[in-house]
Amino acid sequence: MKINGVAIADTFAEAFTMRVARLVITGRTAKWAREAATKLTGFATSVIGCKCEAGIERELTPAETPDGRPGISVLFLTMDKTSLPEQLIVRVGQTVLTCPTTACFDGLPDAPDRLAVGKALRVFGDGFQASKVIGGKRYWRLPVMEGEFLVEETFGMLKGVGGGNFLILAADADAALAAAEAAVAAMTSLPGVILPFPGGVVRSGSKVGSKRYKNMVATTNDPFDPTLRAITQTELPEGVNSVLEIVLDGTDAPSIEAAMRAGIPAACRPGVNTITAANFGGKLGPHHFHLRKILA
Amino acid sequence: MSDTVTLTLTAPLEHALLADCIAADRFAGLDAKQIAGLPVLHGGQAGALGEFFKIRGGHSSVVRIEGDLAQVDAIGAGMAGGELTIDGSVGRDLGLAMSGGRIDVRGNAGDNAGGARPGAARGMTGGEIIVRGNVGDEAGARMRRGMIAVTGDGGRGTGEGMIAGTVVVFGKAGPGAGRFLKRGSIVALTPIDRPGTFRYACTYRPPHVGLLLRYLRGRVPVADRYVTGKYERYSGDLAELGKGEILQWAGE
Repeated sequence: MKINGVAIADTFAEAFTMRVARLVITGRTAKWAREAATKLTGFATSVIGCKCEAGIERELTPAETPDGRPGISVLFLTMDKTSLPEQLIVRVGQTVLTCPTTACFDGLPDAPDRLAVGKALRVFGDGFQASKVIGGKRYWRLPVMEGEFLVEETFGMLKGVGGGNFLILAADADAALAAAEAAVAAMTSLPGVILPFPGGVVRSGSKVGSKRYKNMVATTNDPFDPTLRAITQTELPEGVNSVLEIVLDGTDAPSIEAAMRAGIPAACRPGVNTITAANFGGKLGPHHFHLRKILA
Repeated sequence: MSDTVTLTLTAPLEHALLADCIAADRFAGLDAKQIAGLPVLHGGQAGALGEFFKIRGGHSSVVRIEGDLAQVDAIGAGMAGGELTIDGSVGRDLGLAMSGGRIDVRGNAGDNAGGARPGAARGMTGGEIIVRGNVGDEAGARMRRGMIAVTGDGGRGTGEGMIAGTVVVFGKAGPGAGRFLKRGSIVALTPIDRPGTFRYACTYRPPHVGLLLRYLRGRVPVADRYVTGKYERYSGDLAELGKGEILQWAGE
């Protein structure tokens, strides 16, 4: 299979089941909602080192938010149910509660599993906090120096998908970057998906474990490192001198498929040789995204 | 089973009718005949609901009542769920000690709406009452949880002795509003006569008020200036716990 002369490898991306929450952060202006969302999702690229993966899903118009102010929708994922509330409590407490004018709402109101995030944060109010039930939902009002911070008592949790991916194999670094940027632009703001890495792009794709260091969970993906072509079992075709990876997390597999369907063709640009994907032989993750099937 | 149970007053009432049997959740398990047989007191005389109302439908927690009900007391008393819509004015004790569900009155309501039974420490403990008109005295008195919205004026002692919950008054609230309030909020969209035991805190945009008024907008018109505006916060009643508040709209 080829798109614009770019080969689509007959392989699949292997992804994992994660736990996901959606937060809606609003602010007096879109700038302040974004400030909070940016801090909240900072250092949240991979569970390997950050214990969570998070990113901005999309910007919300005032008509789309509970309080009628500009907002940002954020997806937040961890590997298990226990660590998701732990991470949310710490991060919302340090990044959204602290940010001027913001309020924080649940973006998965129909999810039966509820995480008591606002309920835990309320104690910052030192006994001066107050709750309000509006439309059947409980909110906590925390007095702060600016005025009040409003946070929903519970947030919904679903089983999500983490680790959807594709690799862009290009003739040089400039072509790889241009293709990655085009793919990210095509996938940005699609519902139910985030790209947790910087600018949505990963340059340091990893393999499981290490050939040399016992305590390393993940190390460089040497079969795809062009500088190691001569001294490792390379998987790079001739003419490929740079590789970038796009990693996708989402609320469900169809959302990730839809994003890959939008992103991969956008990456098929001049200077790109092949689009392929990372997997572990299908033994580790239950979600397999077959590139050719998705693009057919 | 029907979508809605409809009660239509068959003739003008000569005396006050105590109809505390009317509650949306209660009707969910009854057919029309059983509803008609529920007990009422008319001028102190025992009777049945069917003697005063024509009843259509059954086995539904969505209830509509039609007619001039200004002499019908205690509608929605103890209600725990469902939706009750009243096309007209109602008497006193609307939603007395209710714990859930919604009551929507397209008219005025008498005294003690959402209030407590005589001698009881708590009034309503949940649910919502919307009155698209005026209410009598002591609306929301001793309420523990829930919300009352009055698009007209409130009487004397609105929210008196509230333990928690929210009362929104679009018009004028009578004297003594919020007296003995422990927690809870009285949101006044026009200037309000506050007890001397409330103290000014600040002028700000309370985020929950915007959220609440936007929620109310689904049923009653609320001008933008109230949704996005600033409010003066008065803490009180300082003769009590002092964790309650009167929020008075202060402009855009």
